[in-house]
Amino acid sequence: MLTCDTYLMPTSLKEALEAWAAAPKGSRLVAGATDILPWAREGRGGDVHLPSMIDLSRVTELCGYEVQGDRVRLNANVVYQVFLEDKTLIRLLPNMPYCAAWFADDQIRQQATLVGNIVNASPAGDGIPPVLTLNGEIELARLDHGAVASRRMPVSDFITGPGRTEMAPGEIATAVILDAMEGYGGSFQKVGLRRSLVISAVCCTALIKTGDDGRIIEDVRLALGGIGPRPIRLRDIEEMLRGRQMTSELVAEASLKPAEMVASRSRVEYRRAVTSGFVEAAIEDALVTLGAPKPEPDQRETLHA
Amino acid sequence: MPELELDLTVNGRRITRHVDPSYRLLDLLRDDLALTGTKEGCGAGECGTCSVFVDGKLFKSCLMPASKAQGTTIETIEGLSRPGELTPVQRAFHKTGASQCGYCIPGMVMAATSALRENPAAGIEEIKERMGGNICRCTGYTKIFEAVEIARDVIAGTLPETALNPELTKTSYIGHNTRRLDAPSKVSGRLKYAGDMEMQGMLHMQVLRSPHAHARISRIDTSKAEALPGVHCVITCDDVPGEDGFGVFVHDQPIMARGKVRHVGEAVAAVAADTVRIAREATKLIAVEYEPLPGLYDPEEALRPGAPVIHDYAADNVVKHIPLRKGDIETGFAAAELIIEERFSTQQVEHAYLEPEAGIAYVDHDDVVTVISPSQNITHHRHMLSTIIDKPINKVRFIMSPVGGGFGGKEDMIYQGMLALSAMKSGRPVRLVFTREESIMASAKRHPSRTSYRMGLTKEGRITAVEFSMLSDGGAYGMSSEGVMRKAAILSCGPYEVENIKVDTTVVYTNNTPSGAFRTFGGMQAQFATESMMDMAAEKLGLDPFEIRRRNMMKAGSRTHTQQTLNSASIDRVLEAAETASRWEAGPPNVRGANRSDLDGPDTRQPCTLGARFNEARHQIEKAKVAS
Repeated sequence: MLTCDTYLMPTSLKEALEAWAAAPKGSRLVAGATDILPWAREGRGGDVHLPSMIDLSRVTELCGYEVQGDRVRLNANVVYQVFLEDKTLIRLLPNMPYCAAWFADDQIRQQATLVGNIVNASPAGDGIPPVLTLNGEIELARLDHGAVASRRMPVSDFITGPGRTEMAPGEIATAVILDAMEGYGGSFQKVGLRRSLVISAVCCTALIKTGDDGRIIEDVRLALGGIGPRPIRLRDIEEMLRGRQMTSELVAEASLKPAEMVASRSRVEYRRAVTSGFVEAAIEDALVTLGAPKPEPDQRETLHA
Repeated sequence: MPELELDLTVNGRRITRHVDPSYRLLDLLRDDLALTGTKEGCGAGECGTCSVFVDGKLFKSCLMPASKAQGTTIETIEGLSRPGELTPVQRAFHKTGASQCGYCIPGMVMAATSALRENPAAGIEEIKERMGGNICRCTGYTKIFEAVEIARDVIAGTLPETALNPELTKTSYIGHNTRRLDAPSKVSGRLKYAGDMEMQGMLHMQVLRSPHAHARISRIDTSKAEALPGVHCVITCDDVPGEDGFGVFVHDQPIMARGKVRHVGEAVAAVAADTVRIAREATKLIAVEYEPLPGLYDPEEALRPGAPVIHDYAADNVVKHIPLRKGDIETGFAAAELIIEERFSTQQVEHAYLEPEAGIAYVDHDDVVTVISPSQNITHHRHMLSTIIDKPINKVRFIMSPVGGGFGGKEDMIYQGMLALSAMKSGRPVRLVFTREESIMASAKRHPSRTSYRMGLTKEGRITAVEFSMLSDGGAYGMSSEGVMRKAAILSCGPYEVENIKVDTTVVYTNNTPSGAFRTFGGMQAQFATESMMDMAAEKLGLDPFEIRRRNMMKAGSRTHTQQTLNSASIDRVLEAAETASRWEAGPPNVRGANRSDLDGPDTRQPCTLGARFNEARHQIEKAKVAS
């Protein structure tokens, strides 16, 4: 059971930062609050009492998004469902709709935010691998002599381990800034115990751009989640694929090495097997969104036989 | 405690309330506004029984702090239609029989309504995905999805509204779809389950449970809990006035731990207070001193000489042994041309009904102790409670509230006794609603089993003898174990006529969570072993799996394992139906070619995918292109 003495809903960033600075020790910031309520239950956090909960969902500066040249600034209150419904974001962030489709369910996606998912820093956080492929930078605001100041850092540096980040006391994550990837194909692979509402055992995402003939890989970005203390970008595999002629043999070759990067504490063999398949499937599915034919399952099997 | 002021619109009415800042939207709706059509199945966003519309979008109200609803417009199941009327979605649920226990149904109706509002032309795959946040344990979803498709087509005008009407039945109901009488109350959210009921002056109960699997209780001090303002009473086993002990076959379980605890999660003490929060705080003030005892966690260890004893009356830890003999297995095995030996094991399983255990007890004006709960066995509970509280049977009453899923898991009287005692002690009505975690921790599970199997057969595949020995983990208390063992023994060798059998089913005490009744009541564990043996025998003898079953199946005139002569048997028709439906390709399982025509047919369940809405959107674009 989660209890608190006060529940605050500031409407401006300054007000939120002031409330956060003044909050008694043990208080918590929440955005969607979809993680904290299930956490404060028997078997996890148990009964949790917080002096204060500061809800950021009504902070004006944290709502909405902005396209800034070749970057997209997603403010902290952008929820997952937006990636399935907003036409501009579907065009500019081609792997996010597929990630969102696998994230929780339609209802929780109305409330859960991408920035909250990043700050939570779960090794299996579904939103983090796509953010890594989109070269995400997180923006952190703080009060500096009573004025709002902010800093930015790559999400790959921000997340340092399971549930651990570089967030300093008094800071609030205000936005994540991503590359706009128009014209890329995107995909997301995930496996867990069921389809909806499940924590990833492994997830994988790809962004791909091909030459005009659809054969040469002009650019590719890949990332994995659920395979170690934090999600990772597969830069060496990207390097190996970039500029090469696209063949199923090449994709199969690229899928072998990532399995070695699995550093989970449990189900390592299973995760290795899944990782290889996922890298291959992520590349293929991203190509399919660019118009390539979908390979038949037995084609894949023949290739690996 | 500082309060939150909330101002919102609920089902078309403006509401202003001062509430606890810890409130979730679900608490506001259920506790303050009495809108109990919105249920709590898990409190963790997993089950969807609490789905409501917030500003037109579907949300899980158990995951939403009430403050987030400030200024919004809320629509609950009660707001979908006017009293006495049903929407096309609700009527379609009624039509197809989509509501069974009904506990998930308000949430399902909300999710279906949301799916069709978001995309009135959604295909079945998209509907399934959009409803992916809602769980049902009764229907297997088929009737629910059938209902949503009918509703979609009626709303779109491609099906006439008469499609929602009941199917006409002439002189007989047999062979026709008949509508459930209780469906309108379920699809509208009006049906009150025990956790939805309130009484004047009602107190709330919380239970202190054991963190130990096996420990002696040397002292329980409830004084601090009793002194907490808002607490009306604290009860322990010392409050039992009569002869303590309940169980379906053996009354080995005290209302609350007496002298020692035998499994993690066993009730030790309970508090009745003005609010759930106070009662919960009070349970933490109860001091219990435990002396841990060596535990038993494996059924085979329970049978070893010198093993810890769980119940004094059963020094050998055996709850029940059921032997079954027919013919002579020595003769049977001597006649066998093939003997197969194998071991099988099955695991513990949770029922996971959507309605967690709940109940209210009160003592009425005539001193009748009354318990309202979704008990699957009220008459037996009534008799046991009368002995436990030392009152004549006419002063004990059980009222069965709607059961939001049971599957056998609500046959045991694991909390009704505590409710009765606290109502007697406090003089007030007392309600207890389990959390999902508590339900999983404290309720009985399906028996884990280990079976040693020896089967003798002729070359033609006729079974000549079976030796079957099953050991089950009964956990800390007897509950339904004896009956489960009987059923496992009776059904042991399946629907096959075997002249010579030696069957033994045994259930033992351990310090694991108690095992109890669960659909099939022991049959599943036995059939898993028997049917696996039949397939292995078919493979070894080069026979078709259907054929070997036909050569052994019971017919009219057959003698069962318990030596009853059958007037009729239907296994032949079952086999035929299964063979046809699966498009079975005849032949032994191990000698057929790589390309089997009975795999991947039209009814085969496809692998798990998501993204139907993308595919459908793409499909629409392509269709538009073709059309232009």
